[in-house]
Amino acid sequence: MQVAVAALAALTACGRRAECTGEYCGTLVIAGLGEPDILLPPASDDAHADAVDDQLYVKLADLGPSGNTFGDVGFVPELAERWEWDNPRTITFHLNPNARWHDGRPVRAEDVAFSFDVNTDSIVNSRARASLTKVRRVTTRDSLTVVFHFSEAYPEMFYDAVHHMRILPAHLLRTVPRDQLRTAPFGRAPVGAGCYRFVAWKAGQSLELAADSTCFLGRPHIRRLLWRFTPDPSVAVTQLVAGEADVYEYVPPQDLERVRADSQLVTYPYAGPYYTFLGFNLRARGDTSLPHPLFGDRQLRRALTLATDRQQLVQSVFGGLAKVPPGPMPLLWSTWDSTLRVMPFDSAAAVRILAANGWRDHDGDGVADREGQKLAFELLTVTTSPSRRQYARLLQEQFRRIGVAVEITELESSVMTQRMETGNYDAALVSRIGDPSPTSSIALNWLAGSSSNYTRYDNPVFAEAYARATDATTRDAALRVWRSAFQVLLDDAPAIWLYSQQVVAVVQRRVAEVRIRPDAPYALVRTWRIPADRLIDRDRVERR
Amino acid sequence: MLRTWLSLGALVAAATGGALLLRRRCERTDRGRRFFRHPTSTTGVALLTFFVLVAVGAPLVAPYDPAAQPDPVGLQNRPPSWLHPLGTDLYSHDLLSRVVFGARVSLGVGTLAMLVALTLGAVVGALAGYLGRWVDGLLMRIVDVGIAVPRMFLLLMAVALWSRLPLGTLIVLIGVTGWFGTSRLVRAEVLSLRERPFVDAARALGASTRRVIFGHVLPNAAAPLIVSAALGIGHVMLLEAALSFLGIGVRPPVASWGNMIADGRDLLTTAPWISLVPGFAIASVVMALNAVGDALRDALDPHEEAT
Amino acid sequence: MTTWLLRRLAASVAIVFAVLTLTFVLIHLAPGSPFRPSADDRTVSPEVIARLDRVYGLDRPLAVQYLKYIGNVARGEFGESFSQHRPVARALADAVPNTVLLGVAALAIEFALGIALGAYQAARARRRVDAALSHVTLFFYSVPTFWLGLALLLVFGQWLHWLPVGGVGDPVVHDSLPWAGRVLDTLRHLVLPAGTLGLVGAAGTARYQRAAMLEVIHQDYVRTARAKGLSERRVLLRHALRNAVLPIITLLGLSLPFLLTGAVLVETVFSWPGMGKLAADAIFARDYPVVTAAAILAAAMVALSSVAADLLTAVADPRVRLGARDAR
Repeated sequence: MQVAVAALAALTACGRRAECTGEYCGTLVIAGLGEPDILLPPASDDAHADAVDDQLYVKLADLGPSGNTFGDVGFVPELAERWEWDNPRTITFHLNPNARWHDGRPVRAEDVAFSFDVNTDSIVNSRARASLTKVRRVTTRDSLTVVFHFSEAYPEMFYDAVHHMRILPAHLLRTVPRDQLRTAPFGRAPVGAGCYRFVAWKAGQSLELAADSTCFLGRPHIRRLLWRFTPDPSVAVTQLVAGEADVYEYVPPQDLERVRADSQLVTYPYAGPYYTFLGFNLRARGDTSLPHPLFGDRQLRRALTLATDRQQLVQSVFGGLAKVPPGPMPLLWSTWDSTLRVMPFDSAAAVRILAANGWRDHDGDGVADREGQKLAFELLTVTTSPSRRQYARLLQEQFRRIGVAVEITELESSVMTQRMETGNYDAALVSRIGDPSPTSSIALNWLAGSSSNYTRYDNPVFAEAYARATDATTRDAALRVWRSAFQVLLDDAPAIWLYSQQVVAVVQRRVAEVRIRPDAPYALVRTWRIPADRLIDRDRVERR
Repeated sequence: MLRTWLSLGALVAAATGGALLLRRRCERTDRGRRFFRHPTSTTGVALLTFFVLVAVGAPLVAPYDPAAQPDPVGLQNRPPSWLHPLGTDLYSHDLLSRVVFGARVSLGVGTLAMLVALTLGAVVGALAGYLGRWVDGLLMRIVDVGIAVPRMFLLLMAVALWSRLPLGTLIVLIGVTGWFGTSRLVRAEVLSLRERPFVDAARALGASTRRVIFGHVLPNAAAPLIVSAALGIGHVMLLEAALSFLGIGVRPPVASWGNMIADGRDLLTTAPWISLVPGFAIASVVMALNAVGDALRDALDPHEEAT
Repeated sequence: MTTWLLRRLAASVAIVFAVLTLTFVLIHLAPGSPFRPSADDRTVSPEVIARLDRVYGLDRPLAVQYLKYIGNVARGEFGESFSQHRPVARALADAVPNTVLLGVAALAIEFALGIALGAYQAARARRRVDAALSHVTLFFYSVPTFWLGLALLLVFGQWLHWLPVGGVGDPVVHDSLPWAGRVLDTLRHLVLPAGTLGLVGAAGTARYQRAAMLEVIHQDYVRTARAKGLSERRVLLRHALRNAVLPIITLLGLSLPFLLTGAVLVETVFSWPGMGKLAADAIFARDYPVVTAAAILAAAMVALSSVAADLLTAVADPRVRLGARDAR
């Protein structure tokens, strides 16, 4: 018997690994609702990848705590340790000589120039491209100096130069053909200059990063970051409550009770950078040169907007934790203006407008029709967002009451994005993350020519108002011009603005110095730490 | 609401009364006695009758419109109460109404798909058993293939390839993927019946093959068919529930017991009744069908009859 | 015996071939082109299109396409997953072992629980305990598998916190545990999903086992054994049980289709990364190659398992071994 016990002890002891102690340990398990598509920023159109990219890659500089985007006030140096303005249209960045790629090679100015080239390449079509249109070219003066030449001076030029681009390793990506970036192996085994290195990615299960102890920005305290993909927000919360996960950036409203009741969890509410709308496809499916048979008609769009009781919906789904945005803007933006003229909820008026345009239920089947065409359309939503799925069902009923038949199709996120990009859809529930400044988001989503402008909204009046807003030199002047621009957009009703959430992030109590930036919740994870006296078992694990 | 309670009460009475009455009448025949010998037969018949009556009388029984969302703010996720005996769900749908109308969908899909499968299985089995030789060989090889592919994967493939399947097509597909076992049963019956005198007599009288098969052989092979039917509806109901749960069967706002379970999946801890109630409904009906099927098999077993 | 085995294997191969033909026909009947993503759903680079055309011969006549298709499958080339951006064969290779693990565990539970329960019921036939257990087995046999899974998840995972709520292992510590710890971790995650499948399967097995044993108990040789003065227990265990287990072996071998179908649901409910969940998720990602490959693989597994079941029966029952019948 004793022999057996000893043998058992020896067996289990054989496998025990060395333990980590001190201030630089810790495993942070992040409950990830969605799995990134790939970890190569210019080729990715997935918000889930941003959180991971924030650890793997660096930018030249990033927003400070004030979130100011005008001029260069408050920006925090990253790859660029200092900069200067040669003239109002030229910025010179001096790179930190200690910056290294994860494979050991030093980061050089040519990497910045290369990154600029990739991000502005039309074949790659990255999200950053629309924001970099006013950068005429990027040159390198020597191996640690980069110069940005702008075609004109404008208030957010510094923000545009630094915020959207993550710096990529030229020596590893130069040989990859641009149209194959999306499927390049680099995307599943990335090399960046950020404070966390890539370790492993188990498809459908987890993604692991490890701290780079020689990081030029300072050694991160938390040794391991582990994203655990959970398809279900409630399961993610259960994992948090059970102590199996440490961080979750967005607690759904129905689980807040459970989270608040748990003394081991701390909640961090912040003004959300997200907003969601029901976007109409203004162009015909299959031939974007023609208007959509239903949604090309402005009156119809306005009627559908009148038929939705957005206040009731937001109350039902979020119970007070979200607001109906006056336009395409999240709670985060200072452009949130309650004086904008929004359409009220008036289903009687909606029915009147429809009838005036010939839409009546002529054949008695409950669905309005006109000259044989039914007032019916397909609404797309993603499988991974319970709020949007809920909205789809609620909206379906609200439209049914005025005689509009809606069929809901649930798709995986990337499939839905592709269908919107190719214009093969009628309407979709779209969620966007707003950048700290409206400039790039609005350009990306509502200006003609942008590949992310899924509604294919094209109004020169709006474009002109937008141009004036981006030229404004002070914040107040900008707000005034933004207001008139947004009013044009609202009157055209290319979408129904549904909600912007007050986001509540939740973190385990043992994690200290948690800083969350509303526009990028995980941007500052490298400054978080788990004090040595609060380490638990999994924090002490050393990577084998 | 009063109408609902009254009709439910009436249906319960009718179902139990009917079952007991049936049992009394069946005491007289051998088969009847064998049917009710099982401890679960009476309950099974009663339950089945109840749910069929509920499905048929859905508009009368249901207190509200199953698709209506009267108050998505105030009436959301309410536990069972006097006004909403089974509670409400996330969209303020009344669950009792949805269960009642869902009975129509689930039982309807089950019966129709089973009919498709039964017809196919009976015809193929009869042809194989009666005609024999290469026809038999070919048909039975097809049956082998059909049994080899798990039904769910075949259906998943069909749904994947044709993204938007109307309900009618889905019913036919479910039927077309489920006739293989029945055909084997019928074939076995036909093989044993083929050499019976009444078949020879019919042939001698000049009846065509088709007449012999459909007019004489199949009616005598009815026993396994009836049992197949009872059990088959149960299988199809479970399959339809599974498909609707996965999101590829019956789509909302039409209520099916399967998609109702899916609706409540995210709310298991806060509002478990949303998922639990439809599950119990499915379990009850399938239990009743299985019980009745087993009892039928016992009652109609020709081997027992011979003794 | 060997000739019989060879014949059965050949029949299985023929079945898989037929399934391949069926899937090929289905693919070509469907709108769009499942081995090349339609332009509507995804934008694909010309290189990928050219490569897919080469592999599947999409620009060649149908007969050539068919031959290429068969050849590809034989080589294990199932195309590329649209949503995972890697070969389907790799995605399957990652997923199938998990399903096999789940299936084996479920089968073990089904076997042990079902036979024990059925035998116990047969021994206490017609008494109240038997009637009560009959109702219990009827319930578990009729319940939707996914609903049972949800109920168990609710009780053991979220109310009692005894068992984890999903996944195949704790990704945080799993890799750094000693092998004993890893096994334990996987087992903890396996309990609920395998238990769900096992319970439903055991209910069915118990019903058959009860009936089979009851039939055997009334047979002559059992009465002889009793007459010879053997204890009831000996009679049951030695004679009745052994002979009643035979049809059960075949039954278990044939329960693979049920297990695979159940796997799709249980894996979805418990986030168990097996081929069932892979196929179900692939539907929403419009990932046709994955769904097709899963269907083909499932069919092959079923065909092989029925050969295995026949083999086991032959080993256990001398009557079959001597080729006395090939009951169809």
